[in-house]
Amino acid sequence: MDEQVRARIRRRADAIGKLKADLIQRLNLPYTPEDLHEDVSLLGAGLGLDSLDALEVVLCIEHTFGIKIPDQNTAVLRSINTIIDYVITQQEAGGGTAR
Amino acid sequence: MRRSPLHDLLARSGVSFAERFGIEVATAAADPATEYRRVRDTVGITDFSYAQVFRVPEQTGVDLLDGMVAGNVARVRYGRVLHTFAADSDGMLMADCYVANNDDELVVVCESIAGDAAMRGMFMAGAAAGAGVTDLNATHAVVGVDGFKAWAVMKELFGADVLGLPYLSIEVFQFEGERVRLLRAGKTSEFGYLLIVPVAAAGALFARALESAQRQGGGLCGAAVHDALRLEGRFFNVFAEGARVRDPLPLGLQWMIDFGKEQFTGRDAIHARRAAGVTRKVVGIADENGKAGLTPGLAVYDGTAKVGEVVAACHSWVLGCDVGLAMLPAEIAYSGLPFTAGAAGGPALKTVSMPPIMPRSLTVRLDEL
Repeated sequence: MDEQVRARIRRRADAIGKLKADLIQRLNLPYTPEDLHEDVSLLGAGLGLDSLDALEVVLCIEHTFGIKIPDQNTAVLRSINTIIDYVITQQEAGGGTAR
Repeated sequence: MRRSPLHDLLARSGVSFAERFGIEVATAAADPATEYRRVRDTVGITDFSYAQVFRVPEQTGVDLLDGMVAGNVARVRYGRVLHTFAADSDGMLMADCYVANNDDELVVVCESIAGDAAMRGMFMAGAAAGAGVTDLNATHAVVGVDGFKAWAVMKELFGADVLGLPYLSIEVFQFEGERVRLLRAGKTSEFGYLLIVPVAAAGALFARALESAQRQGGGLCGAAVHDALRLEGRFFNVFAEGARVRDPLPLGLQWMIDFGKEQFTGRDAIHARRAAGVTRKVVGIADENGKAGLTPGLAVYDGTAKVGEVVAACHSWVLGCDVGLAMLPAEIAYSGLPFTAGAAGGPALKTVSMPPIMPRSLTVRLDEL
């Protein structure tokens, strides 16, 4: 694995760590960050978050990464990985201010 | 080997059957692409009678079931469904379970890799112990209605009230004078309903549901296509990655576990592995070039080093390529990384974020229909 790929891993792991810590705190989830698989469904199935929780997740993303989630963009909120994909895409486009 | 109460009806419709973990399963009703499109675009009707289904009186059932499954049965509110699993004493998966709180009863729907007879024996030991467990398999069929238009079939069968049911809930409806337990639950990422129907009405209900589905452009499905639908939606499939990996922690099933519970079968082993740290985990993969031939057991390479293997795979008609799950060392189990399949220098594979598709059902709200 070359250094460019390793840098990509570090960047993604860092973003995931921040998001998980904030999600656990804000939603009072009974899990450690290691317990939350990045692909677990956030809404409905999986963690079973409801629409109020979804709002909290949106605020969490804004707080942690300085990135707003457009209204109606439920696709982004499907899993931690889909959120991080969106965050990284926005950051690479020059958006956001990391906490 | 146990057979579905709908076996003869399905056989007359040209459905093919196969044994899976000790029970006959209606595997296919049409070609996979047609069945897949039925669910993604309209609605598919599937016989899920291979599931093990039990009724437990609420008074005696909470303690019994809390000792059997990893989730917290005592906290399941009336009318809601808990999605969890049952493990063996080593903390290895035995069954994926829904536990529904239906007022004075708890209804359990299991998909087991422990064998049909073993699973039913385990639950019926609860009956012998005075917990009053009833095995519903001999007296009920289980019918799945899944798809973007599944709600339309349900509305036709049971009225508009069905549209208000939240995901993971249970309600009872009448059909031809029989009591049908309806679970709003599915594993396709489209709208899904699971009907537990007394045998006396099962054939008629199945036929009515199928006629309604056909009016929507849908039709009959086998259980096999659900392996692809589940994987694409990143729903846990006990028959695929579950049977191959067995350990719930690398599979990311911690959300099904109440780690605060003092006792359930396999608890100590699961807690010990959690404390030691998860060193390997599953991650989504895609064969975007169509050259890897994704199949369970296929080796995954990072440069010249074999780092893992594929544990589940399917073709995604939405994405136009094969997708799957690979078990990799946790430190490299991240989305967006390049690997090769089968050998060093083999066809390219890429790890991907799951779920990789956006289901149509997520684009509509049932309360607006």
